[in-house]
Amino acid sequence: MIRFHNVSKIYNKSGKALNKINLHVKPGEFVSIVGQSGTGKTTLVKTMIGEEQVDEGKIIIGGWDITDIGQREIPILRRQIGVIFQDFKLLNKKTLFENVAFAMQVCGGRPAKIKKIVPHVMKIVGLEKKISSYPQEISGGEQQRAAIARALVHRPKILLADEPTGNLDSINANEIIELLLRINKFGTTVILVTHNREVVNNLRRRVVTIDDGTIISDQAVGKYIL
Amino acid sequence: MFFSFARIIKFSLQDIFRNIWLSLVTVIILILALFTVNMLLMVKVIGDMAVEAVEEKIDVNLYLKPNAKEDEILALKAKINNLNEVKNVEYISNAQALKNFKEKHQDNPEILEALRELNINPLTPTLVIKPKNLDVFDNLVNRLNALDENIIESRNFTNYKALLEKINSITRKVTEAGIFLSAIFIMITILVIYNSVRVAIYTHRRQITIMKLVGASNWFIQMPYLISGLIYAFFGVAAIMLIFYPFLSLLQPYLEAFFVGYNVNLLDFFYGNMFTIFGMQFLAGSLINMFASLIAVGKYSRV
Repeated sequence: MIRFHNVSKIYNKSGKALNKINLHVKPGEFVSIVGQSGTGKTTLVKTMIGEEQVDEGKIIIGGWDITDIGQREIPILRRQIGVIFQDFKLLNKKTLFENVAFAMQVCGGRPAKIKKIVPHVMKIVGLEKKISSYPQEISGGEQQRAAIARALVHRPKILLADEPTGNLDSINANEIIELLLRINKFGTTVILVTHNREVVNNLRRRVVTIDDGTIISDQAVGKYIL
Repeated sequence: MFFSFARIIKFSLQDIFRNIWLSLVTVIILILALFTVNMLLMVKVIGDMAVEAVEEKIDVNLYLKPNAKEDEILALKAKINNLNEVKNVEYISNAQALKNFKEKHQDNPEILEALRELNINPLTPTLVIKPKNLDVFDNLVNRLNALDENIIESRNFTNYKALLEKINSITRKVTEAGIFLSAIFIMITILVIYNSVRVAIYTHRRQITIMKLVGASNWFIQMPYLISGLIYAFFGVAAIMLIFYPFLSLLQPYLEAFFVGYNVNLLDFFYGNMFTIFGMQFLAGSLINMFASLIAVGKYSRV
């Protein structure tokens, strides 16, 4: 599903953000990528959605070589990968329904399809009763659920979660992880980028540890080792 | 495709109305630029009309002796008609000249009374000569001066060339000033629209980030700002039409008074060429706005 082959990313002066990364994620896997701040985890996510171009190596996603992806192809790639972030990235002037529908609207989705899919994904994330609420009216956990719902509307094969629990208390964080596990059960490959030790240790799934841009550990059922 | 286009229009209108004051300033600057351009066009049209009217009236009169014989006059007319510089020659007999004179002064009883008291026709037969164009006017005058015919009593060669040169000179100077002023307003328009789009993008940077994240295409992200440029141009041209026609209606009586005896009708010109003039202005305005928007979008939408 995802294959990194000798991937390096060099930022000017500050050295290598990624150093000869070799990683293979199979379809339907749940992989946690862990490491301390500034070790290259987010850069790894950015290279997967075409936000950053790599300087060396090759990235293949779903059989598609995206190493030198063109500007016009990036939107096509991003419709196949759902992404969620620590800061949720919701629009405060739109209701939750509008926020989720927005992702389909800007990609040319038909109104009838939007009306059908949005309530469905809202139900998956457990927000079917809050579709008319605005982001500021709900908790952080619920905001992250709305962000997950938005990431799911294109039925992505991969879900990238970049520090999704970073702004949440432990109860909300656990709920989000439970939700990600449920989504993974449906067959979606989930990449969880985090530095939350407790979350990773409770998961008992594959853990890839990055330090200083290099993979230092890749365990099938791993723990947070840093 | 239809839904995408409808959403682009919706986002564009949202941009305009969420930054309504900036949008108003943009349209006002555009109106000023278009007003200057139309003033420039107006001056050009007046200049052309004045030149055309004066050119139409250019002629050279050869006044002949009252006792000149008809066959001598016709021979002279034929001789002048054969000159390269001549467009046509009209012979006005003294009887015809008297009739024309009476018609011209029919409302002036004192002149008609004086004419009656004279009891003779004081007017002479005349050859009215029209040159082919203004460039040959000097040559024609020289050729006519060189004519040595006994039946010629006097020659009237008004210096139309100097008059036309004066009109052309004034038109040229006003046009130059107008072009300078228009260029300044067009530059200001580009800068204001560039800034409007920049502010709109800054206001919506979070939304643009999300659009990119969820896979919106670049054209979908950028098009609303280009459409905003079109909408500004549309409102600018619509407003200038609403302003300019009443302005012309107010100006027309003064023009008629100034160019008395000449047919200078700006309203007719601007009505007759309405679609061409304002269509071109809409096209040019749209292109300028889209050009400014395109630069701003290219530079600032990479969020």
